[in-house]
Amino acid sequence: MTPSAEETAGATVLPTRDAERALAYVAADGAFALYNDYRAKASVLERDPRIPPTEEPALTWRGGAAAGAHRPLGPTPVVEGYGVFTFPYGPVSMGVPEAGKFAVRTYGERVLSLEPLGGFKSRGIGTSVVGQPVEDAALRIERMAGNFSASHVAAFLAAADSALGREVPEVELWTRGLAQELQRVYNHLHVIARVAEAASQNVGLAQTHALAEEILRVQGAVFGHRWLFGALLPNGPARRLDAPDRSRTSRELDRLSDEFEALWELFLESRTFVDRIQATGSIDRAEAIRWGAVGPTLRACGVDWDDRLRVPAHPYTDLFVALPRETGGDALARVAVRAAEIRASFLLLEQILDRWPRSATKTVAPAAPVGPGRGIGRVEAPSGDLVYDVRVAEDRVAALGFRSPSQANWPLFAHGMQGAVFTDFHFAFESFGLVFAETDG
Amino acid sequence: MDAAGIVLSAAVAGLFAGAPMSLLHRRAGYATATVASGLLFAVAIVALVAGPVQGLGWSGPLGDPESLRLDGLSAFFALAASTVWIATSFYSLAYDDRPSPLLAICYSLTLGSIALLVSSSSLVLFLVGWETMTLASYGMILQAHGRSGRVFSASFVFLAFGEASTLLVFVAVAGLRVMTGTFAEVPAAAGSLATVVFVAGLIGFGLKMGVAPFHMSEWLPIAHSSAPSNASAVLSSTLTLAGAYGLFRLLSLLPSPPLWWGAVMLGIGAVSVLLGALFATVSEHTKGLPAYSTIENNGLILVALGIALIARTDGLPGLYVFALFAAFYQALAHAVAKTALFLSAGYLEHAAGTFDLNSLGGRTRGSDRTAYLGTLAATLSLAATPPLAGFVSEWMVLEALFQSYRFHPEWVQFEGLLSGAAVALAAGLILVAMVKFMGFSLLWRPRATAADPRAPGLGAPIAAAGAAIVGVGVAAPWILKFLTPTVAAFAGAPVVAPVGGLLSVPDGWSIVSGSPFGIISPPVIPIALAAGALVAVGYYALGRRRGARRVAPWMAGSVPGLERETYTSFGYSTGIRIMMGSLLQTREVRAQVGSVTRAELATPVSYNVDLEVLDVFKVFYDGLIRFGEGVASVLKTGVMPGRLGRYLAYILIVTLVVVIYVASAA
Amino acid sequence: MSVVPSWVGQSIARGILTTRYPREPATDAEVPATGRPPVPVGGPATLAAAVRSCPVGAISEAAIDQGICIRCARCRTHGLEFAGSVESATRSRGDLVEPSARRDGTPPPLASLKRSLHVFLIDVGSCNACNLEVLALANPFYDSQRLGIFFTNSPRHADVLLVVGVPTDAMVEPLRRAYEALPEPKAVVAVGACPIGGGVFAGGPGLKGSLAELVPVDVFVPGCPPTPVNVLDGLLTLTGRDRRPGGT
Ligand code: SF4
Ligand code: SF4
Repeated sequence: MTPSAEETAGATVLPTRDAERALAYVAADGAFALYNDYRAKASVLERDPRIPPTEEPALTWRGGAAAGAHRPLGPTPVVEGYGVFTFPYGPVSMGVPEAGKFAVRTYGERVLSLEPLGGFKSRGIGTSVVGQPVEDAALRIERMAGNFSASHVAAFLAAADSALGREVPEVELWTRGLAQELQRVYNHLHVIARVAEAASQNVGLAQTHALAEEILRVQGAVFGHRWLFGALLPNGPARRLDAPDRSRTSRELDRLSDEFEALWELFLESRTFVDRIQATGSIDRAEAIRWGAVGPTLRACGVDWDDRLRVPAHPYTDLFVALPRETGGDALARVAVRAAEIRASFLLLEQILDRWPRSATKTVAPAAPVGPGRGIGRVEAPSGDLVYDVRVAEDRVAALGFRSPSQANWPLFAHGMQGAVFTDFHFAFESFGLVFAETDG
Repeated sequence: MDAAGIVLSAAVAGLFAGAPMSLLHRRAGYATATVASGLLFAVAIVALVAGPVQGLGWSGPLGDPESLRLDGLSAFFALAASTVWIATSFYSLAYDDRPSPLLAICYSLTLGSIALLVSSSSLVLFLVGWETMTLASYGMILQAHGRSGRVFSASFVFLAFGEASTLLVFVAVAGLRVMTGTFAEVPAAAGSLATVVFVAGLIGFGLKMGVAPFHMSEWLPIAHSSAPSNASAVLSSTLTLAGAYGLFRLLSLLPSPPLWWGAVMLGIGAVSVLLGALFATVSEHTKGLPAYSTIENNGLILVALGIALIARTDGLPGLYVFALFAAFYQALAHAVAKTALFLSAGYLEHAAGTFDLNSLGGRTRGSDRTAYLGTLAATLSLAATPPLAGFVSEWMVLEALFQSYRFHPEWVQFEGLLSGAAVALAAGLILVAMVKFMGFSLLWRPRATAADPRAPGLGAPIAAAGAAIVGVGVAAPWILKFLTPTVAAFAGAPVVAPVGGLLSVPDGWSIVSGSPFGIISPPVIPIALAAGALVAVGYYALGRRRGARRVAPWMAGSVPGLERETYTSFGYSTGIRIMMGSLLQTREVRAQVGSVTRAELATPVSYNVDLEVLDVFKVFYDGLIRFGEGVASVLKTGVMPGRLGRYLAYILIVTLVVVIYVASAA
Repeated sequence: MSVVPSWVGQSIARGILTTRYPREPATDAEVPATGRPPVPVGGPATLAAAVRSCPVGAISEAAIDQGICIRCARCRTHGLEFAGSVESATRSRGDLVEPSARRDGTPPPLASLKRSLHVFLIDVGSCNACNLEVLALANPFYDSQRLGIFFTNSPRHADVLLVVGVPTDAMVEPLRRAYEALPEPKAVVAVGACPIGGGVFAGGPGLKGSLAELVPVDVFVPGCPPTPVNVLDGLLTLTGRDRRPGGT
């Protein structure tokens, strides 16, 4: 699709034939980060409006920073009218098993606007790590969001490595890759299980849930911890991953991969499952770009963007990374992208275990710092682009900023829910893979 | 003329006399009306027990004998109406605080004219009562607070419908005169004119009853002009009762109806039931909602009458009589329940200063126990909850409908089936409507700070009406027996009340539909309920239970009951608005209030959203009115400068006289 | 489309997955190393050497406070191993430091609900891992329903409040409301290092020190996060349901 008149108004259209890049430039006066190129990392902060350019790494963009509950997580239209009232949902509900709230404006039945409200689980991680040694800070960073621990700690360490100019052992980077891909599989399975639960697909739910549990067990066997806490730090247990371990893990993952294929077939055959998520929580491509979507949410709108390809780092520079994409923009498209990414991640895991670095001592130079003692780490977390901006002084964290995929995607969810009916909530919510923990920090 | 006859004459005269009394003081007028209503009530009981009462008689302007008299049919309607009037007149003593006596005058005239038309023995007198009633009730509507353009246009519609009704009733009367050769109320022999009389009468009386497709005549003046509450109660409970009386009387004068009469009534009734229930459910007006419910209830009367006529033609005497009883009971149950509901709306208006359920939102909760109990009984009854009046009547109508499988030919059977579905669906909808009315007015926790209830003296009549509702429900078998003369008068033959006994329930304590079909026992239900309650209380008292712990409702961890975060009454029924979208023509109107800037991320847009429903019939009538107004303004400015209303009345009277002359000559 | 048969076939093909715990000890696959508390393997002397290695100060010269241990494994290079019992839940905070007092003779808090226990999960500031571990109890591997343990959607229907996360200021009030809403008899289980003593976030801005400051806690389940088997052990501790001792 082509950008609408509204989008092109007042924008500088650069002479390029790359449609993707052109669309990105269209938004150059205030919207999106597509044009952030890994060759120009230094400019990430200046050009991504969601992380305002600051002299220092700072927690200024939605989350992490201001304490206090009921913090709006996205711009929501103000809706008034006869009989319109606010339907509060949360902060404690089993539908969303996390502490967070939604203020739904409605005249009954239909969602006129939905405002996600965060800050209920602000643990002040962003501020309390300042002054701590990088190793200790990492213990908190990985608990930013337990189910995205590998991505958070990988991004944080990449930023810290860059800031410190630390030569990183190759095997450490591959361990990060292994952990991230395993966790991606887990999280995507988790999303599918939650959507299946919302659609009352109980057998599918049980099977997917079981598969996710098996991934946790693989993580436990490989890293000694089901959630990979401590595993990616220098001195983590992953260092002991030897050849027999790897081939055992590889065989196990092969089996799980086959089981997933069979399971997904069954899901696609299930009318109720597909019907229920089709056309639910829809956002179109232009909206996704304007509001700054990331991850599967963005890729489900037909935009090719994946940090593993656009901002590649070890080990992804050496691997084949498939880039699934859908164009529907609805919950079905997002779930389909996730399913395809599970397949892609199994492929990546196979490559990682197969081509595991032989040398234990070989090191890789970190990315160039973006300022004195300041580095940027950027990885593709299961729910999308995750950025850490860290300044380090005397081996301690001096300042920290981060932008998690959930922070980026909340406005999209809120937008996609407008006009929906109450019962769509869970399908839409789960398909975005949003996490309050990494929003509040 | 015996003693009862004197009382009857005094009652009718007394009701009219309320008008001059109001000139002294409006309270004097209402007091007179209360007393006269009491007299009418007493004489109606006498008429039902001891047979017809003959009152004052004289020779009419056209030479026919005219008199006041109560036969079974008249007595029943006089009883139902006077029950209502005792409550409304007493209520008006405290309610009407206007400086002008106009409302009280029109009120007394309305009551008097209804009493006159019900107790008249001649069709001419009936017609006089009918027209006086239309004009006087028009006068009541004009007394709405805050006269606006809306008041006038709504009351104009009322008057237009009223005069159309008079004309059609007149045609029916003229037809009867031709058929029988007299204005006395005697049954006509079958004839070619019967169809004209029936159609004119059905439409003429249907207009007053507010059944579809004339239902604007019911809700428009009440809801849109926000007519005074005592007026609304009289309009909705007894004006429609007068319409029903007219229809009953007409049918009693036209023996051996063809099958299609019943089928048409059944069809109109079923559509009215469904439309009334549907619009009641989505109404947010404390008077609009009861007004729509009236449409539903009058529809039920038509359904029962339709079944009765069909059963009679089909040779099903048992069902015929049962459906007749159902029709009468429906009229009675509705009159008392609706009175309580409108009086309650007036109470709410006094207590919270609004007719809007949405902004009322429980603010009047706990303000007055008597009003609370009366309204509870009324809403439960209209939602057909056992053992109240509405439950008994709705059960009877449904039981009659269930037996439509006996009809011939098949298409009538099929119509019965569809009507049954419509009535059942309406019963579900009206439950939502009544829960909404009760919940958002007096039951649920307030959305805003509680109102200061300053409406003394309004609660008692509501509670009294509530007691009547309970009585009419629980004592149903005996009341049915009591109604036997009425039904007999209608059927023109002796009948037996549909009561009996089953198992250990004593004979005469149960209502039986058909032989055998369904059976219920309204008096046993409260006994069973009371026994159950006793067991629970006993268990609680005997058991070693510690005191109950009261905790706030669980609302996902949020603070319950913030004003902005509480369900609105509008939200409560939006499900219906969306589900029934094709019938209600529901559409969302969204207007952007704020402006969009380039910095979308920082400035949210502001919307105003309204979900609107549409009555397609209203669109039609609106067009008609606009056309009429266009013509009228041309007449007014171009042809005859002066007051439009006067000319209309003038034209009407001229027409009336001419037609009467022609008819009597024929 | 033969949807139903294929789901059935898939389920049968996978066979029985459910753990035999608590009838038999939990396996290593069910509980990886970090599902067990760290204990000194070289005698008490190793404790003194390990004190400085612990990032949360769980180790003192005399004992290890299992309540705040986040299972970071740093002390492993100083002679400690994750070799404690899987059944690490206790009924008092003190027992997490002095394990000798575990499982005394007093009846368990909800002994009367041995056969059917309804559980409400409340997150008061977690990292999400604890939530997911608790919810994993519903998957076919743990199938908590076979033990009569059910998750409810409202505290009004629950016997137990399962609390995860470190209490943030914003969640104090919702927590209190949920606790109020529980019918009697009721109990509270603190799941993970966070509610027990703040975990890795202890001392952070806007955080309460521990759950026990806010509501009475009946059972403490240490770990960061505790594995599903650990949580199951905690719930069984609450009802006192019989079980074989887990693998030590
Ligand atoms: S595992 Fe980590 S937190 Fe636990 S005692 Fe050892 S060093 Fe301390
Ligand atoms: S105890 Fe550990 S795993 Fe559980 S919520 Fe706290 S940090 Fe997360």
